[in-house]
Amino acid sequence: MSNDVDVMVLDDESMVCERLRDPLVEKGYRVETFTDSQSALERLAAKHFDVVVTDLKMKGPTGLDLLHHLRTEAPTTQVIIITGYATIESAREAEYGGVYGFVTKPFKIKELMAMVAKAARKAVRARGREPQP
Amino acid sequence: MLPFLRRLLRRRTGTVGFLRERLERFHDLVEKNNSVLELIAEAGEMLGGEYVFDIQYLRSLANRTRTSCQGVVDDLNLITNGRYPRLHDIVSRLSAEIDAIVEGRIVATQAEYVLPLDHLDETMVDTVGSKMARLGGIRRHLDVQVPRGFAVSTYACQVFLSENGIIDEVETAFASAGPHDAEALEERSRRLQKRVLSAKLPRPITKAIERAIKHLVRTTGCRTLAVRSSALGEDGELSFAGQFYTKLGVAPREVLEAYREVIASMYSAPVMAYRQSRGIHPARGLMAVGCLCMVPARSGGVMYTLDPVRPGEGSLKVTVVRGLGKPVVDGSTEADRFTLARSDPHTVIERRLAHQPEMLALSPSGTVEVVSVAEQSASTSAVSDLELEHLAAVGLSIERYMKCAVDIEWAIADDSSLNILQARPLRISKEPRLGQKPAGVVDRYPTIMKDKGEVACSGVACGPVVIVDDSEPLDVPNGSVLVAHASTPHLSTAVPHASAVITDVGTTTSHLATIAREYRVPTIVDAGNAREVLAGVDVVTVDADSNVVYRGQIDELLHRHLMRSSTFEDTNEFRMLRRILRRVAPLNLRDPHSRDFTAEGCSTYHDVIRFAHEKAVQELAEGDWLEPSHNARCVYRLDLALPLDLVLVDLGGGLSADCTGRKRVDEASICSIPLKALIEGLTTEGVWETDPISMDPNAFMASATRAAPWINTPASRPQNNLAIISDQYVNLNLHLGFHFNIVDCFIGESRNDSYIYFRFAGGVTELRRRERRAVLLGKILESYDFVVETRGDMVTARIKKIPHEAMLTRLQMIGRLIGFTRQLDIVLSAEETVNVYLERFLKGRFGSFGPPSGGQDNGRTA
Repeated sequence: MSNDVDVMVLDDESMVCERLRDPLVEKGYRVETFTDSQSALERLAAKHFDVVVTDLKMKGPTGLDLLHHLRTEAPTTQVIIITGYATIESAREAEYGGVYGFVTKPFKIKELMAMVAKAARKAVRARGREPQP
Repeated sequence: MLPFLRRLLRRRTGTVGFLRERLERFHDLVEKNNSVLELIAEAGEMLGGEYVFDIQYLRSLANRTRTSCQGVVDDLNLITNGRYPRLHDIVSRLSAEIDAIVEGRIVATQAEYVLPLDHLDETMVDTVGSKMARLGGIRRHLDVQVPRGFAVSTYACQVFLSENGIIDEVETAFASAGPHDAEALEERSRRLQKRVLSAKLPRPITKAIERAIKHLVRTTGCRTLAVRSSALGEDGELSFAGQFYTKLGVAPREVLEAYREVIASMYSAPVMAYRQSRGIHPARGLMAVGCLCMVPARSGGVMYTLDPVRPGEGSLKVTVVRGLGKPVVDGSTEADRFTLARSDPHTVIERRLAHQPEMLALSPSGTVEVVSVAEQSASTSAVSDLELEHLAAVGLSIERYMKCAVDIEWAIADDSSLNILQARPLRISKEPRLGQKPAGVVDRYPTIMKDKGEVACSGVACGPVVIVDDSEPLDVPNGSVLVAHASTPHLSTAVPHASAVITDVGTTTSHLATIAREYRVPTIVDAGNAREVLAGVDVVTVDADSNVVYRGQIDELLHRHLMRSSTFEDTNEFRMLRRILRRVAPLNLRDPHSRDFTAEGCSTYHDVIRFAHEKAVQELAEGDWLEPSHNARCVYRLDLALPLDLVLVDLGGGLSADCTGRKRVDEASICSIPLKALIEGLTTEGVWETDPISMDPNAFMASATRAAPWINTPASRPQNNLAIISDQYVNLNLHLGFHFNIVDCFIGESRNDSYIYFRFAGGVTELRRRERRAVLLGKILESYDFVVETRGDMVTARIKKIPHEAMLTRLQMIGRLIGFTRQLDIVLSAEETVNVYLERFLKGRFGSFGPPSGGQDNGRTA
């Protein structure tokens, strides 16, 4: 199934993108990484992603902005938010916006992989029900 | 921890004021001490490759460790009336260094000005730069020839630049923010280089360098040296390859001048422009310098252990010239080019010979000169196929050691010996991107183990299986996959040589796991029955990224790992964490009796908290409130048949009422329920072995920090011991010989309030025996339902919310355990002895320690 799943990773720290790309690709996902949230938003306007893994606090549009955009434009996309210690409150706010899950830095890659796998299954099921624009 | 003590101290108004304040501070000190220990363990695990962390985490780590450590020092100084002000300076210095690291600035570790190459390895990157640290590691850990020499440290560079005002000048010159134009950079480059070249080297540095040269010349007979840069690679030193200066054929009397020239190359215009383009301060930096004997090279060149453009093809690239290899590095001449198979016997796949009419050679006096090559030799190969084969084998052993594809500078001397001059990670083309894991390929190989145990260090490696016996000295071939029962530090010396490590038992926070991460050796611990499963297996591929072990060598997986290895450990955050931890985690002060156990001797946060805890307990246990003048009516010395030298501080109801006004009390006066239970355990017949145990000198000497006081010292040597008690509470700090126990316990009316916290650390022997004892303690405590955490030789155990009687049973057991295990590290000479003593304890057979029947004595314990 993972061969049909598109995953976006967005974090303004390139280390996070670098660390997540290879394990995701190895699982068979099609992966695109972004360190600039504006470029990520533009890409989301052009292409459907099943799972978006995004940092919460970034320069430019934040992870919450991205989430709100996706809720209206791509409701089947599952969003996983990466948070730091100091951003838990914002993360709770995001919860109401229908985010799939949270991981708090530092986190184990294996745990994120498990979450992405579940989110991907949910996205594919939802995609099956709702035709994409 | 200790939640009850704080409440108790607030409630009891009868306690003498100054004592109450000190006890509150002591309580704080212990809490902060524990929080630093937990942070150290947590941060160590981050280095294993399993976690993603960011700069925020590093900032938070820096803040949390500093805050706790400063708190510990504040508490100690309050307890001791400001006796250790020097500790504030040490914490301030360490925290300033750590802050600088987090801010991306380069900081030199305080060190000797000059260090011999034989003393270096990768753990000393901050001191001698990556290039020399790596070369030292290769010389020390591989059977590979490296020229003799020494490194002038980054600290020497810092002192040199600082004393000449050059660091200040750099700051002033680049004070204005924003990019600096090329012309301005050129001008500053000229000025800074001129300043360095004309600066006076401080006399101690000059003397240290001259002394090292003299020793080198006397012991090797070398006439000239290569003086090489070894910068701290804040941006991945790959990027600076070739941009710093290396001077060859330097006569001993010219080394100081060459040293200045190499340092000055930090400020060359191209280097500063490059740094600026990467968003790094153009001129902030430090450099170590390597001075190595020149090799009279018959031929030399460069080898890449993987084709950087087509890494999937499984070939090595070798470029060769006659004479010194410098023209290959410079790219200034035509060279012979070879493509070799990575697989044994490394046959030549492709050869392109160049016409080489001239070469660079060492003259008899040691200077470098251009000489003509005889016409009949100019178009023949500068190396034989046999030499190429040997070169490839050595290159791949270095690749296994460095855990990545490597770029190696080498030379074959006139006597045909192969010398490695430099080795650094090879930058592999990022394209094409890695694809999906080659499931089809992997499926062809039998899976021997999958998802067993925990990954202590990620990575992929391959090698022959070597099952090691923990009791035997380790002499294993380089590149082996070590399989052992436990992750004891016994294995540590072999880890740098290993391609991977697998253990049946152990934790990701053990000392061995730390060493594995330091050397980036893929490691799986606690795999259950690895020794059994891997017995008789020849070669395996260990994929610690996915926690799978395959039978055979899977080149596709190994290549994939080589291609990606630059993305993990080479990230800024990872390097920063390593640097931070070098200032936080190592424990150098272990023996409180040692002359080095001083505030000045603390060189890491761990040293600081260890020192502070020791001195705080000493102060509380030996405080002058036992003197009548203080009239501290709650402090007593406990008379016991055991030499515990225990001071009791009774915060209420811990002793019978008739103790008032006395200074000494006996066991019968104890009303504190938990202390009574502990003492009952401690005084159980047979658990307190008072005869000194004969010491195995090998085990003893292996413990470098342990000093002579142990000799002829009874194990019962009294030390500073302290118990803070009430009717339902005990906080016991018990130092017995070289061991430290903390018991914190409250037995409440309701079982929901009751808890026991127990911590044990220390010992007199080498670390592996102490770790064995930690394993034994862990097993015993777990059998009594404690939640146990073992880190190195430290055991922490917790239990709570159990019935009153069960609490007492466990406290008695802890009492027995403290007595029983005091000297056990000495007799735990082999892994098997752990179970023998476990059984003895559980069956109540305490008695005298001798070589246990059934356990391997290995002939080392008398």
